[in-house]
Amino acid sequence: MTQTLTGIYLPGNTYIHRLDARVKFFCFFALVVATLFTNSWGGYLVMVVISLVLVYVSKLRLSQAIGSLGRMRWFLVIIFLMNLLFFSPENAWFSWWFFAPSYAGFLQAINIVFRVSVVVILSNILNTSTPPIELTRAMEALLHPLSFLGIPTGQIAMIISVAVQFIPTLTMESDQIRKAQIARGARFESRKLTEKAAAIGPLVVPIFLSAFRRADELALAMEARGYQSSQKKPIKKNVKLSSADAFAIFASLVVCISQIYFL
Amino acid sequence: MNQISITKKSIIAAVCLALCVVLPQAFHAIPNAGSIYLPMHIPVLLCGLICGWSFGLLVGILGPILSSLFTGMPPVAVLPTMVVELAIYGLMAGLLFQLIRTKKLTLDLYISLIGSMLVGRVVAGLFRAFIFSPGQVTMKAWVTSYFVTALPGIVIQLILIPAIVYALMQARLIPQRYSKGA
Repeated sequence: MTQTLTGIYLPGNTYIHRLDARVKFFCFFALVVATLFTNSWGGYLVMVVISLVLVYVSKLRLSQAIGSLGRMRWFLVIIFLMNLLFFSPENAWFSWWFFAPSYAGFLQAINIVFRVSVVVILSNILNTSTPPIELTRAMEALLHPLSFLGIPTGQIAMIISVAVQFIPTLTMESDQIRKAQIARGARFESRKLTEKAAAIGPLVVPIFLSAFRRADELALAMEARGYQSSQKKPIKKNVKLSSADAFAIFASLVVCISQIYFL
Repeated sequence: MNQISITKKSIIAAVCLALCVVLPQAFHAIPNAGSIYLPMHIPVLLCGLICGWSFGLLVGILGPILSSLFTGMPPVAVLPTMVVELAIYGLMAGLLFQLIRTKKLTLDLYISLIGSMLVGRVVAGLFRAFIFSPGQVTMKAWVTSYFVTALPGIVIQLILIPAIVYALMQARLIPQRYSKGA
């Protein structure tokens, strides 16, 4: 199951790896906005080329970049068919029972599948090129303005950071629990809904118990070392960005603006 | 469960947030489990019940976003509706569990769970109908997607979440809500 998590950091020294994590976050959101505004064949082509260039520059294997799309294939097929068959019954090619495929539905289906796929690839590039701890620091820095509204941004960033670090551990543990339950006769693959449902309890309860035990130990260790969630932590002050960072921000803004206004 | 320190509540919230990513992955062994058994709802509701409304709200907002970033599920197209739905679950579970004290833990849990599930589904339906997909959501579609398809998930949540809370209390990982004499 650990192989199914595609967004795990892969160390490297590429242009994308060297960018500041805050800049990568900003560029990611700019490109997501650009993708959501894409509504033409030219726009689709631009976003596909940009995604492929980013995959190439970050030296990711194509299988690593699009791995999660393979797992989502049935979901993508279903949303494609639902949009194709139900989106626009007025100008349908033909109508049978309650299915009414149309050209408008076909375009909408391509649009949705395209947007989902590009955003998944972009998030894979962000996660595989940025260490989790840097992602958390970037999140904390980007969330910092909210602290003026009284929102405990430091605490939120700490929660996200701990959560990100727990994901691989809990994934391995839940995999072990799943295998142990299969060995004890749990029937996850059964076609009967009742058998599948009966298998879920013995899978979920031990996962929660094990996770809460880890949480208890970590909280105890933090309190023993004098951690206080209310204390103010210094924010990293090195806000100087390199010319590479500036170029990445500029390029992503150009893509975002041109997708919104021109393509 | 007011005796839990803020640090421990933060770490429990972090663990629940991590489980929002891990649990749907664990359910991949079961075909179509994600949409039928709603595995991401369980840590959000539990976090609201154990840590309170603020942490429940936070995990409800961040859980789907983090899962979408790490695994691509839920896809961006359904992410906003799911964020609203789960945020309301976490918020309402925490608020109701804090307000309702019948001196019977099981009753408190069921009232909080059913109340938060209902309010979450109504609010998510309203957001879909008026903001995310205006004019495309019918009453029939809302009932089908939030109650009929999700029925096995609702039943499993109503069975599993109280069981998990009792198991955690038994293992002394969270404090008892009522003393044994009460």
